[in-house]
Amino acid sequence: MIERLHVQGVRHHSPACARLVAERVEALRPAAVLIEGPADFNDRLDELALEHELPVAIYSYASTDLAVRRSWTPMCDYSPEWAALTKGRRTGADVKFIDLPAWHDAFAGIENRYSDAEKRYTEATDRLCRAFAVDNTDALWDHLIEIADPEGLTERLDQYFDLVRGESEASGTDTEREAYMARWIRAALAATDGPVLVVCGGFHAPALRKLAATGTTEAPEVPSPPEGTDVGGFLVPYSFKRLDAFGGYQSGMPSPEYYQQLWERGPGSAAAALVQRITMRLRGKGLHVSTSDLIGARSLTDGLARLRGHERPGRTDLLDGLASALISDDLEQPLPWTRRGTLTPGTHPVVVEMTAALTGERVGRLHPATPAPPLVADAQAELERLGLDADAALRLDLVKPRDLERSRLLHCLRLLAIPGIKRAAGPTAGADVTSEEHWDLRAHGDRLPALIEAGALGATLGDAAQTVLEQRLDRTGELDAMAGILFDAALCGRAHLTDRIGAAVEAAVADSGDVSAVGKALSVALALWRHDHLFGTAGSDLYAAVIAACCDRVLWLVEGLHAPPGPADLGRLDALRALRDAVRHAPDLTPSPETVTRAADRIALDAQAPPDLRGAALGLAWTFGAPTDAVAAAEGAAGPNRLGDWLSGLFALAREEVLAEAQGVVAAVDELVGDLTEGEFLEALPALRQAFGMFPPRERGQIAERIVSLRGGGDAYDLTARHEVDPLTVAASMALESRVEAVLEREHLLFGGES
Amino acid sequence: MSDTTTAEPRLQRPPAERRYADELAKLAAEDDAPRPPGWALSLQAARTFIVGDPSRGIARKFVGDPSLIDRALVTLATNRGLMLVGEPGTAKSLLSELIAAAVSGDSTLTIQGGASTTEDQIAYSWNYSLLVSEGPTRRALVPAPLLQGMAEGRVVRFEEITRCPLEVQDSLLSPLSDRVLAIPELDADPMVFAREGFNIIATANTRDRGVNEMSAALKRRFNFETVFPIADFDTELDLVENEAATALARSGVPVPPSRDVLAVLVRVFRDLRAGDAQGGRPQAVMSTAEAVSVAHAVGIKAWYLRGGEAQAGDIVDCMAGAAAKDSAEDLARLRRYLEQKAPKRKGPHWASLYQARNLLPG
Repeated sequence: MIERLHVQGVRHHSPACARLVAERVEALRPAAVLIEGPADFNDRLDELALEHELPVAIYSYASTDLAVRRSWTPMCDYSPEWAALTKGRRTGADVKFIDLPAWHDAFAGIENRYSDAEKRYTEATDRLCRAFAVDNTDALWDHLIEIADPEGLTERLDQYFDLVRGESEASGTDTEREAYMARWIRAALAATDGPVLVVCGGFHAPALRKLAATGTTEAPEVPSPPEGTDVGGFLVPYSFKRLDAFGGYQSGMPSPEYYQQLWERGPGSAAAALVQRITMRLRGKGLHVSTSDLIGARSLTDGLARLRGHERPGRTDLLDGLASALISDDLEQPLPWTRRGTLTPGTHPVVVEMTAALTGERVGRLHPATPAPPLVADAQAELERLGLDADAALRLDLVKPRDLERSRLLHCLRLLAIPGIKRAAGPTAGADVTSEEHWDLRAHGDRLPALIEAGALGATLGDAAQTVLEQRLDRTGELDAMAGILFDAALCGRAHLTDRIGAAVEAAVADSGDVSAVGKALSVALALWRHDHLFGTAGSDLYAAVIAACCDRVLWLVEGLHAPPGPADLGRLDALRALRDAVRHAPDLTPSPETVTRAADRIALDAQAPPDLRGAALGLAWTFGAPTDAVAAAEGAAGPNRLGDWLSGLFALAREEVLAEAQGVVAAVDELVGDLTEGEFLEALPALRQAFGMFPPRERGQIAERIVSLRGGGDAYDLTARHEVDPLTVAASMALESRVEAVLEREHLLFGGES
Repeated sequence: MSDTTTAEPRLQRPPAERRYADELAKLAAEDDAPRPPGWALSLQAARTFIVGDPSRGIARKFVGDPSLIDRALVTLATNRGLMLVGEPGTAKSLLSELIAAAVSGDSTLTIQGGASTTEDQIAYSWNYSLLVSEGPTRRALVPAPLLQGMAEGRVVRFEEITRCPLEVQDSLLSPLSDRVLAIPELDADPMVFAREGFNIIATANTRDRGVNEMSAALKRRFNFETVFPIADFDTELDLVENEAATALARSGVPVPPSRDVLAVLVRVFRDLRAGDAQGGRPQAVMSTAEAVSVAHAVGIKAWYLRGGEAQAGDIVDCMAGAAAKDSAEDLARLRRYLEQKAPKRKGPHWASLYQARNLLPG
């Protein structure tokens, strides 16, 4: 019966494979078409086969109390799976998905079911890339399959996949999935005597052929999820942007718009259409593209295609030709199509626009008969349950559990940009401590459409909000925004660490060169991690990860910070303070005090570091009990343009240590200030004022007392009291004094330092 | 002088067309693809020469992206020049030499750019005794690489073009656009028209005066290709391992550093090269070539001073001398890296590197 079995290995989202699958269905007229896809969706294939505008995706989720796992199975016009589904149904075949459901452990960590399996076989493909002298597997695939002669395509595909499978170890999860798929295949073969066509990822094809030969022929059950896990799947509209946005090992074929054109028009017209798109786009952005540039690009593209043996230019021929002709600069980052994965910061603007044009703007739309996603029902039920379904101006007290729950729900809706929901006031990521929130709820005509659209993001409001948070983190890459996002996570009650968030945080922190931004994120995270019982975030693993990443980064950045003397930068002082607090209160997450102290010592001695940072570093070492000579260091920073800033740094970090000393820094500073000339003093004054502003009034009073006693007694209150005097009077009296002094000097009536 | 092969003295570094004469001959003999006019090889064969093909016995000579070679070769077949730009030590000159050898069979028509480069060194000058006795005649003319390349239809290499004064750079304008060079001193036949096969490969260093300062007119006549440091860790490690072993063998050291030690070295170089978001890249060139020379120094030190195998700790003082050169800032950068990043990495060699951090001077 095995000769009735036809296994067509494909690459997901490959137009050539889709065309081939359609041809094979037409030629074979199979009794059954079995597709690599979630078997738990089989009873809803009618829904999937409605006349949607593609791309659409099957969204699957599995949520437990602790976490939710989400994955997408995207389909576009040129998906081989879509071709198999639609063609198969049209020819009357029995069409089925035969892979394990997305919630199964075999898919742990996989967000895109149709990502390439390539991580497992890089060695084989690397060798092929070398042999064909191409940059990467995408270029290799185009070269061998997409723009190659369709003649002999089936054999080429089989050879390609045999080669990659032959050399790689299949993982345990692959074996599990393959065993399951093979059971469906054997059951289908037993149930009919017509041909059976299997459409699956090429990596699995050789194994499935083998496994289909022996074993039970009973149709397998769709496995049921483990106890306590809520699972489900439904259709959502998808977009080319999202299809192209899977980075790293989650990626599939890049440049969906190019392959859409390839599918619709064939290689020749696809290239022409894309040159037009790119040109329009670049010109629309005000970038110069002349006719002679285009002629140059055309001849380069043709030359490249000929050199590479392409009858008609392919994707990289096109991109290479345009890049060579349009860019007369050195590049900061390699051309993205020579590597894989998402764009890196610093990519040339022309290149950014080119790749965006190839990604395309296409957005899918579901057929009106498709059932609404569960998010709509979930949102309505939750709003009703919490009494939020009427217009109201609400005042929530977050200390009450029910109000906290309501607040979380509203914040989720706010993140999803559902209209008619507005927060008028409430806690922010700053330091203000308030547990009261004010909300404005108003019915809005667009609420339902907005919820349906958001259905792609999750089955419940919480899950959908989490998707938004992750996407924002992925996208911003900027720490400033990250602090806000982290706080939003707390507000929504979604402060859990997922792999994806962890990676995004690490990347954002590692990319940031701004000490104060890292410091801000660190203090927000530290506060939420330590003692936010209001939001239930104390000890959260998400914030722990942020703290760990930020501490490393702050220390790394401050040690390299070089600048001439200038006004104290409160942002970086705050960052060091946050670092100090983190090392004190979360020692398991941060570098050891010894490491920090050593780095701080180096900074304090670094002549090129700005004075405020040197002072702060000294303070940092001091607070960790390192032996420090603050007096000597203060004398080292004695210049009028440095003293105040240096002290600002020191006081910001080691206020208590300074106060605890009997004499020390205060006495030294008193002496240093006494040595300043009139002009120098005026120059130093604003910074000194800022430095002593670090002390609260009571402590300033203590310092004043100490200075008074140093000078032999008097009333300390006089030093800190505010006197209401007209500045003009003060200036006049100072002028008079200096005149008197000048006269005394002229008459040699000044003795020593005393007058 | 009859037996030239044995009598010929050994050269320190013969040009590419002599080093790989066998490969070039083989490729030319087997080449059946159409050749652009004036080329010694077809585009396909020229590409194979550079990216290699083990099945035909052609060595891989350049480890960057193959598409870069494709674009470079196609550019040379058009009427634009090729400009290779990149950080120092990214093998731009090697690449230009290989391309010239493949395209023209000759990589020696080279102009070395510098602050004192004049048009004489680019186009032509005179043999003054002949000039005085005969006047400006063809015989008295001493052709420089550009004139020679145009007259013979060969590729001319212009190294470090951005180091030349702007007006000297602009002398390339009419050879590139009109493909003609005028010698106004000659009364008869003063124009030299470029033959098929002539083109220019220029290289420029992003650390020198940038390509931004080139005139727009000249920029337009070049296609730019940026050569990047090796993207793949393993490829770079392989290269460092091979080159270091060769260099050490020449220095009489039989035990090259182990791959694990070199892996630490290459990782340090790559991390420092990437710099961080403040733009804090070292002033020293953290190129693969520099990594090879540090690996060489590490091997020599271990063998001749200790008589043993190299350890990761040896990297520290070799780097302090070789890579951090004379910049105190680079030294501080290296220290910061060793203090903060090294202890985070796992493995005995990283631990040994971290332990050795105190060997840094200062």
